[in-house]
Amino acid sequence: MFKKIFFWGLTAGILSAVASIIYKRIYEFAYEVTYAKIINIPVLIGANFIACLAAAIGFWACLRLFKTKGEIIFNLIFSIGSFASVMFPISAKLPLDVQFPEMFPLLTVPMHFFPVIAWFTIRPLFANKLFVPAD
Amino acid sequence: MKKIIFPIAALLIISTSAFTIFKAQDWKIAENYSVKFTSSDPSGIFTGLKGTVSFDEKNLATSKFDVTVDAASINTGNGMQNTHAKSAQWFDVEKYPVIKFTSSAISKTATGYEAKGTLDIHGVQKEVTIPFNFQDNTFSGSFEVNRDDFNLNPSNGKAARVIKVDLVVPVTKP
Repeated sequence: MFKKIFFWGLTAGILSAVASIIYKRIYEFAYEVTYAKIINIPVLIGANFIACLAAAIGFWACLRLFKTKGEIIFNLIFSIGSFASVMFPISAKLPLDVQFPEMFPLLTVPMHFFPVIAWFTIRPLFANKLFVPAD
Repeated sequence: MKKIIFPIAALLIISTSAFTIFKAQDWKIAENYSVKFTSSDPSGIFTGLKGTVSFDEKNLATSKFDVTVDAASINTGNGMQNTHAKSAQWFDVEKYPVIKFTSSAISKTATGYEAKGTLDIHGVQKEVTIPFNFQDNTFSGSFEVNRDDFNLNPSNGKAARVIKVDLVVPVTKP
């Protein structure tokens, strides 16, 4: 079961990393700002893979713990966690030579929802009855 | 009496004119200056430094600083904190767009120099003394500002009251 969940997390990580890179490029082009010192392509790839693989482990753990209600509980935790995590970019203190820190949250806050969106988007490809562990 | 009026007038004119002849060297503020402020919270920089700097180590009497800092150029590293700092509670940049220092006297001290003058922040003017050094065409100095003196959100008990300001201002001959 974990193998399938692992690939779900991996695929979600790839999708959200790609979405983050595209969004960063569009944002920096449109607003003529750069935050390359703080977020760059390796950071985005790393962060999205960590988020989605951690989600995979969390999902697997929820299924083990809560059986049929595991997915509902996991979805709630993942969504609330994503929402709560926006406080990090909002309260982040950037290096003083980075211009326009006011616009940093506008770039990064949406990105915090990319892993959860990717996770839910590809759910139909991975989710089936196999996720309910047998007693 | 009439006989001494003209000699006195001549002396006065000569002594006054001497200040124009022995005018201190004017300097242009270089791009890579730094105006930092530090405290337990907040810390940051200002980037909008402008003004006239006349300074001659051998002629301190005619030396003078008349500089402004764009209050809206504050950068604490956090966007929300920057917006807050520019608001009416703190610098009120719409009403008081600049922080101004005008020196009235510059003198030599045991460790360097000191500039006495008026610091104008948030519409409040206060006499301050700023110790500084001048080496390799760079002014450097540190001084402390109590935000209560300038009515900068005095009701806020969370932010530090005394804020250290560090200046490093390289200059070039125009």
